[in-house]
Amino acid sequence: MIGYYISLALRSLRSTPILSALMVAAIAVGVGAAMTTLTLNYMMSRNALAEKNEVLYAVQLDSWSATNGVDNSSEMPWQVTYQDAVRLLRSDIPSNQVAMHRWGGPITLENSEIRPFIADARVTSRDFFALFDVPFIYGGTWTAEADNNPVQQIVLSEKTNDRLFGGENSVGRSVNFNGAAFTVVGVTEHWQPSPKVHDLNNGHFNDSAEIFLPFGLHRQFEIYPWGNTNGWKSEEINSYEDRLNSDMVWLQYWVQLDSAEQVERYGDFLTGYIREQKAQGRFPRPLKFGLSHPSEWLTLNEVVDGDDRMLSWLSLAFLLVCLVNAVALLLAKFLRKAPEAGVRRALGASRQSVFSQHLVESGCVGLAGGLVGILLTLAGLGLIRQLQMGYMDRVAAMDWAMMLAAIGLAVLSSLLAGLYPAWRISRTNPSIYLKTQ
Amino acid sequence: MLELRPILSALWRHKVSALLIALQLGLTLAIVSNALVVIDERSERISRPTGLAVEDINSFSFLAIPEDYDKFEAFRLDLDMIRSLPGVASATISNHVPLSGSGSASGFYTEPNKETGGISANYYTVDEHFIDALGMKLTAGRGFSPEEVMQVGATSSERPTVAVVTQKFADEVFPEGNALGKAFFLGGDDHPIEVVGIVERNLGPWPNSSVAGRGVFYPAIMDQWFYYIVRAEPGQRDAVLKLVEEKLAERDPNRVINADTMEEQKAQQYASDNTMIKVLASVVILLTFIVALGIVGLTVFWITQRQKQIGVRRALGATRSAISRYFLLENLIIAVTGIALGAAAAQVFNGFLASEFNQPALPPIVTISCALFLLGVSLAAALVPALRAANISPATATRSV
Amino acid sequence: MLKMHNIRKSYRTDTIETHALRDFSLEVDEGEFVSVTGPSGSGKTTFLNIAGLLETPTGGEYRLDGEDVSNLNDRQRSRLRNEKIGFIFQGFNLIPDLNLFDNIDVPLRYRGFNAKERKKRIEKVLDQVGLSARAKHLPAQLSGGQQQRVAIARALAGEPRFLLADEPTGNLDSLMARQVMELLEFINEWGTTIVMVTHDPDLARRAHRNIQIVDGQVSDLHRATAPATAEIA
Repeated sequence: MIGYYISLALRSLRSTPILSALMVAAIAVGVGAAMTTLTLNYMMSRNALAEKNEVLYAVQLDSWSATNGVDNSSEMPWQVTYQDAVRLLRSDIPSNQVAMHRWGGPITLENSEIRPFIADARVTSRDFFALFDVPFIYGGTWTAEADNNPVQQIVLSEKTNDRLFGGENSVGRSVNFNGAAFTVVGVTEHWQPSPKVHDLNNGHFNDSAEIFLPFGLHRQFEIYPWGNTNGWKSEEINSYEDRLNSDMVWLQYWVQLDSAEQVERYGDFLTGYIREQKAQGRFPRPLKFGLSHPSEWLTLNEVVDGDDRMLSWLSLAFLLVCLVNAVALLLAKFLRKAPEAGVRRALGASRQSVFSQHLVESGCVGLAGGLVGILLTLAGLGLIRQLQMGYMDRVAAMDWAMMLAAIGLAVLSSLLAGLYPAWRISRTNPSIYLKTQ
Repeated sequence: MLELRPILSALWRHKVSALLIALQLGLTLAIVSNALVVIDERSERISRPTGLAVEDINSFSFLAIPEDYDKFEAFRLDLDMIRSLPGVASATISNHVPLSGSGSASGFYTEPNKETGGISANYYTVDEHFIDALGMKLTAGRGFSPEEVMQVGATSSERPTVAVVTQKFADEVFPEGNALGKAFFLGGDDHPIEVVGIVERNLGPWPNSSVAGRGVFYPAIMDQWFYYIVRAEPGQRDAVLKLVEEKLAERDPNRVINADTMEEQKAQQYASDNTMIKVLASVVILLTFIVALGIVGLTVFWITQRQKQIGVRRALGATRSAISRYFLLENLIIAVTGIALGAAAAQVFNGFLASEFNQPALPPIVTISCALFLLGVSLAAALVPALRAANISPATATRSV
Repeated sequence: MLKMHNIRKSYRTDTIETHALRDFSLEVDEGEFVSVTGPSGSGKTTFLNIAGLLETPTGGEYRLDGEDVSNLNDRQRSRLRNEKIGFIFQGFNLIPDLNLFDNIDVPLRYRGFNAKERKKRIEKVLDQVGLSARAKHLPAQLSGGQQQRVAIARALAGEPRFLLADEPTGNLDSLMARQVMELLEFINEWGTTIVMVTHDPDLARRAHRNIQIVDGQVSDLHRATAPATAEIA
């Protein structure tokens, strides 16, 4: 019977092209608006580390001032100090652990035609690739020694390797970074979590690092991070060493803890560490640390901000208006066809089949509305990309799931919209339409 | 009114359709009025004066390739070269560029050795050309002399003795007035820094943050963070951008140059506000359009349904204008009902937005203007079908089937 | 075939209650051709609607083909309407968007026949009413008489035992009316029971039996040729 209803629906929609177009447009515009904002929210709240969500933790230490609070949702600094990072790295409890920050500098090849360019770098301890599951195309991470001592080894991203070496295996080759020679030890596959959950400090959706450098290089290069540095204390900084030993926070710290037992031990370790530091006059606030899974980290950092959520509410309200509109138009259309429904009833159609027939018609409107809605959503996302000047390129894009969701939303809303008109038409007394006036 | 009763009883028979139209108008009013408030707030935010010659300024930075690069020497040579270029009005060097999204902030105190109760503000290190190069206006005191400008490394603890501040900073740190000649201190420090000049305004690196507008300028050049800020003669900006970039690379090819216009950076700072405005404006336009179409659709439908009735009325002596008036009056009743509901809904919606998303309150004047506008849209949408209804021939009444 | 006993039907509005049928009793035998006459507002249409299971009586008993249909739900009533009853209306009531083939297809769809069976039946009834050549035409392209023949074909396609006709010739000129009437008589001869509401006394006389409804009750009965019974309560 459904096939029959569909053919009737198409015939009916074709017979009133303007009204049908109005209904399709109403659904399409509503779905387009709703899906534009829902897609943004969906893409923004994705967790690129979902597969390891249960075993990864972002570490926070409350090393902040006793008097001035930290103005964020976790009430602890997002980042840790260098001195704490170095001491935490000595723990052997986590399966993997990473202290890191953003940096960058000019990169080039000796005796090459390639013009020097600025490469965005991540200075990190060697577990980075294992902890975040970053796969290697060639080679691997640097030696363990490089985390503590200046060892000029470098890992390139696929893109950088393509640019410098045309994509061939560059392990063992030398590049010039920041005026010094580095030996390539590995090339990673393209790795671009979006949102950039591992470091949410400078934009949530921009590019990941182009090169990776060992953690032992700080003193040699006097590295000043290309991220946020926050301090709370008036400290005499007369040398780079003073800076490293200061209470300024500028590093991200992640650990992988595979079992509950490991989590407990690590918690004890952090508690002990903070107590020890308190004894030395640091950590003036009550003992507190944070271990957040990536999913919790994204929420805590408010990657989906107030404007985004407000727009979602607004677009759902918009969809509601479009639905009310569709209800009114469907009602008008169905009532106009009431005589036909009367004839069908006389010829043996039950109320239920009249109802189904009209609901199928609503569904067809929804399907068409959904298809047009996808186009409108793509246009809407295009507008957002343009207005956000590149910042949102990675999230203002539809995947297959969202396209299906668009169709689903359109069909569902139109079925909802058709419910009352279809019920109404199935309830009308057929006999009044059968008599000649 | 003479026709009100029959209209009301006819509407009662179409109550669901009438209610649906009223509902649409009401929801639209609730959404549109709230959207307009947000649009208004964001537009105001974007159009705030920056205190800077935004349209004429370019900024440049470089990363040197050799490790042991003499940056201070390069600054001197670069700036001399830039200042001699045609089209360049003025140039300075600073640790940060205003409106760029990258900056520094610190707490400032009126008494020495304090750790709490300070006022936070953005700070810049600049050379003596900064007021002219940024296109700011000096309202009191003086700028810096070349002798005052220190050269400091990233770990230098040398502190300046003088500063130029923005009017907003002066007003908030020294509320009793007369900031000129007074001193302020950094947190936990007893070194006084004297205010020697006041500039009218500088929005700072983050125009949407709470520190925006509070600015402090020190006479210093840092080698760790630096940008050349170059103001071009009016209309010469893009030419200057290209020229300076070229000349910098030419003077010393051993580095990578980065260039930006301040206008682009400002746009980036306001991108999300701008997005909000454009998206909300689209919502307002589309909604109004959809609702208008819905009203046209339903009015046409009702008129077709009542074609015979209209014919009878005409045959019984109703004038064309009486018929049109009937449908417009009917539309008016529906619209007024919907808009009354919508005005209440707008307040509820605004309460939700204000508490959840810190949006501004909805002033009655906005609701009223939107209500009148929607009333106009509703009547306009009903007008064409209503006029067409008046053309229905009285003969329709006598024709059967 | 049809047996109504003490059927009552009243319509209620806010202020008044109208009795369309009062203690209405009637029996129609299998194979009969009964005409129903009566003044406007007498309850003819209500009788037809109840007989055709389009409306439910307020009270009384109605047996169709031996089955008590007073208390059936909508689905069961629709099923009976589809299988046992054919309707013919004064206004033809063809669906304007559908061509002749698809119009006749409507009741067969609800019956659930497969495509092959439907096609066979449609072609058969179109042939019976002599409109095979015009299967793809829309109703508007046909004359009134042709339209009514299509309506009859549509009523017959499901091979109903019982045909209800409401002023079937009311919108037709006399020549066409005669053709339609002959078609109905032919159908009746093949065994289909027919109840026909009409204003036309000539047509009414051509039936086996004429029933007159006045004020919601059967007021009189004229026995025609065939034997039949009707009771006055």
